Amino acid sequence: MSKTQSKFAFTMRRLGHFLVLLLRKKKSAFGLAIIILFAVVAIEAPLLTPYNSLGEDQKERFFPLAVGSAAPTWLRYLPTWLGGNPDLSENLVITKNSGLPKLVEEGGEWNITTEGEGVSHETCEDVGFWSAPPGFRTYSENGSLEIKFDRESGIAYNQSKVFLYHEFYYPFTGFLGRFIGNIELFVNGSTTHGKLDVPITVTVYLGHLDGKLWKVWPCPNEAGWSNAPIGFALDEYRQPWGIDRPESGLAGAPPFGDYGWIISRSSTASVASHIDSESSSLVNNKTEFRAGRYPQRVIFSTPGMYVYGVEITFLDQKSPDKQVETSVFIDDFGLLLQGTSFGLLGTDHHGRSLFAQLIYGTRISLYLGLLVAVFSVVIGLAVGLAAGYLGKFADELLMRITDVLLVLPGLPLLIVLVAVLGASIENLIILLGVLGWMGFARMIRSTVLSIKERPFVEAAKAVGAGPLHIIINHVLPSVMSLTYVSLATAVPGAITAEASLAWLGFYDPLRMSWGRMLNGVFEANAITNWWWVVPPGLAISLISVAFILLGFALDEVLNPKLRLRR
Amino acid sequence: MGLRMYIGKRLVYSVFLILVIVMLNFAIFKMMPGDPTAFLMQPWSKESPESRRAHQEQIRDMWGLNETFWVQLVKYSRNLLTFQFGDAFINRKPISETLASRLPYTLVLLGLSTIIAIIIGVLWGITVIQKRGSIFDSASVVSSLFLGALPTFWLGLVLLLFFYGQLHWFPNAGAFPREWAGNWPVPSTLNLQSSGSQLNIVYSFSSEGFFTLIGGYLSHVFLPLLTLTIFFYGGWLLLTRATMLETITDDYILTARAKGLTEKDVLLKHALKNASLPLITAAALNFAFILTGAIITETVFTYPGVGTWIWEAIQFLDFPVLMAVFYISSIAVVIANIIADLIYGLVDPRIKYG
Repeated sequence: MSKTQSKFAFTMRRLGHFLVLLLRKKKSAFGLAIIILFAVVAIEAPLLTPYNSLGEDQKERFFPLAVGSAAPTWLRYLPTWLGGNPDLSENLVITKNSGLPKLVEEGGEWNITTEGEGVSHETCEDVGFWSAPPGFRTYSENGSLEIKFDRESGIAYNQSKVFLYHEFYYPFTGFLGRFIGNIELFVNGSTTHGKLDVPITVTVYLGHLDGKLWKVWPCPNEAGWSNAPIGFALDEYRQPWGIDRPESGLAGAPPFGDYGWIISRSSTASVASHIDSESSSLVNNKTEFRAGRYPQRVIFSTPGMYVYGVEITFLDQKSPDKQVETSVFIDDFGLLLQGTSFGLLGTDHHGRSLFAQLIYGTRISLYLGLLVAVFSVVIGLAVGLAAGYLGKFADELLMRITDVLLVLPGLPLLIVLVAVLGASIENLIILLGVLGWMGFARMIRSTVLSIKERPFVEAAKAVGAGPLHIIINHVLPSVMSLTYVSLATAVPGAITAEASLAWLGFYDPLRMSWGRMLNGVFEANAITNWWWVVPPGLAISLISVAFILLGFALDEVLNPKLRLRR
Repeated sequence: MGLRMYIGKRLVYSVFLILVIVMLNFAIFKMMPGDPTAFLMQPWSKESPESRRAHQEQIRDMWGLNETFWVQLVKYSRNLLTFQFGDAFINRKPISETLASRLPYTLVLLGLSTIIAIIIGVLWGITVIQKRGSIFDSASVVSSLFLGALPTFWLGLVLLLFFYGQLHWFPNAGAFPREWAGNWPVPSTLNLQSSGSQLNIVYSFSSEGFFTLIGGYLSHVFLPLLTLTIFFYGGWLLLTRATMLETITDDYILTARAKGLTEKDVLLKHALKNASLPLITAAALNFAFILTGAIITETVFTYPGVGTWIWEAIQFLDFPVLMAVFYISSIAVVIANIIADLIYGLVDPRIKYG
């Protein structure tokens, strides 16, 4: 066996003995267990939660997972005297595939009824957007449903109606948090003087099957949509209710001739085809929702069968001697219901998963805590060794700097510096590292002062070793035990400092830490949501205590003499 | 070296420290990104770039930003040393004025909580010492360690959640009931009464108004006080326990016990007296945190002290306020250090100066 190999084997054996010694102590076993648990959580975070702590989906678009400040789902099953609330509702995916509205007879989920003559329907090419609206599931089934009105010349004009709907069961006794629907339409047909021969009206309904059907789109205050028959004219496409011509930069606009318009999601009126219970046009819709400011509460009041559908009316008014036709292509038609409860820990005020924030916060806390500990220990070690061993002028200078830094009040200085430099995590790591080494440096210096006088240092000097050699090979190994202890005990301070600064409003806008979660509690005025308040603080305390206990145990194991003297 | 020499040396060192703190403040101010006059310029105003530049130059002149580095440094130091911090960005009021109005709240809160924490911590520490090695001992130590490791604002939030959110026992914000605005209870009045040729000043004290006032304040200050006390007492417990442990194993304690003194006398008159020196110095050093110790706690309860002021300043990035608070709290630390040194020199006859 070569020398390095035996040396390695010896080191490993020593490490093994040390670990056994450490694990025999209750304190360190407990501390290590908690630290390892948090480390595993930090590393395996993506396995534990599918959601992003900042509420972004895979394409980094923000999308609320549930209504803001939602409660945890399990509160539904808790008895009320324990704080449970059986009236909470959960998220429901009503339409499984919003890409192509597939009819029931084709294995889909949409029913269709027609009234009047001349209406036919068939599956057609995709007309919607390439990307589904955030939160909607669109699988590979691309395509759209074409509903065509066709009248031969010589037949009297008529009005025809088509109702495309989906029935679903709403099982909750409590009201809904929010509903989000989407529809994308493409209209094409024969024209005279740039106007459609057969104008259409479109209305999306939502409501209880036995009760009232509420118009949820378009809203009456979106000018002219609900009452007047609309002739789509070329000069009208710019109007704010959002009809875009296909050539206006829409990806995937189909090659359907010159007279098509897509009523789009991304048009000038941002909610033109996005049906949202929180959109101002719906909330302020006085004619429909006089009862309250919350359409979702008005519509979903009792459990039962509900219906969601679109009604298209073809208003044929042309003289019978012309053959007329109008096609409506329906795409990305779907509905999401968001409950008042979500997941394991509910959501914050922006509808982001609190559980994901807690899980991913572990990463930031460990990253920051460990790096700060390493930083401050390295600086402290360098200063302490230099001051202690070199002595004289270097000692005086370094110790005076240490004294000054020790006197400065930590939190106000941090606040001022972070305000000037910005509150990114990296800045914080550097600042906390630079401001956290003084006590340790003093300790190292005093130890070095006594080690310096020991015979083995004198012997090394006599052989002709330089100061650098002596510091690295003879002095440093003697202070390593102190260093390990300090590494462990420096972590909790850093984590708490970050949390305090985040609480005060200095947080990294690109990362969600535990401190920022608690800042959100204050921002949202959600002090009574204990499932939001308790977990992050508990996590901070647990990890702090774990490191403190580990530090104590290390101290006891590594410095038995020191322990006795205290 | 005598006591006088020692004090003199500490004072000189303190003056040096204060100068360093002033320099540091200046350095941070110089480090700030961007032009300090920029926030006064309105980018949407219609004035021409030339006149805007002239306008800006005028402000820079007024604020002395066009002076040389050294002149700026001297002027800045002079202003800091005379506590002229200028105006806050938020309300354009002198910072020292706001500080003076905010300070009493913080001082009362921190003073009260420190005193209560010391009493509880020391008494608890003495009790623990009597039963050292027992489960009570280790439970006390672990619990004070745990409570000291909690983030203060979270402790405050949890107390708020429980006492305000669940039980509705205490209010959640402010220092006095909100409905008092414009209609404050009057604890005492001064009246001028003329009786014949004489003018009397009549002082009348209304106990009802007094107790309403105190009660209103106490109900608001209770939760922050509780938070800070929970946070502070553990340190005192541990310190008392550690120093008492050191003295209680000494020979003179054995002698005292052998003399037949009661355990109470042994503990309080012999052990505690000799262990009190580190406690007194620690109490003196606590003055250092009189300003900054409650920043976080105050923000949780929107208590109108210095902490909440800092919080408001942070939301607007009001640099002058932040720097003034930093400066003042640094000065507090320096003063606390001097006091601790003096007490050390005066109380302990064994100390050698040098």
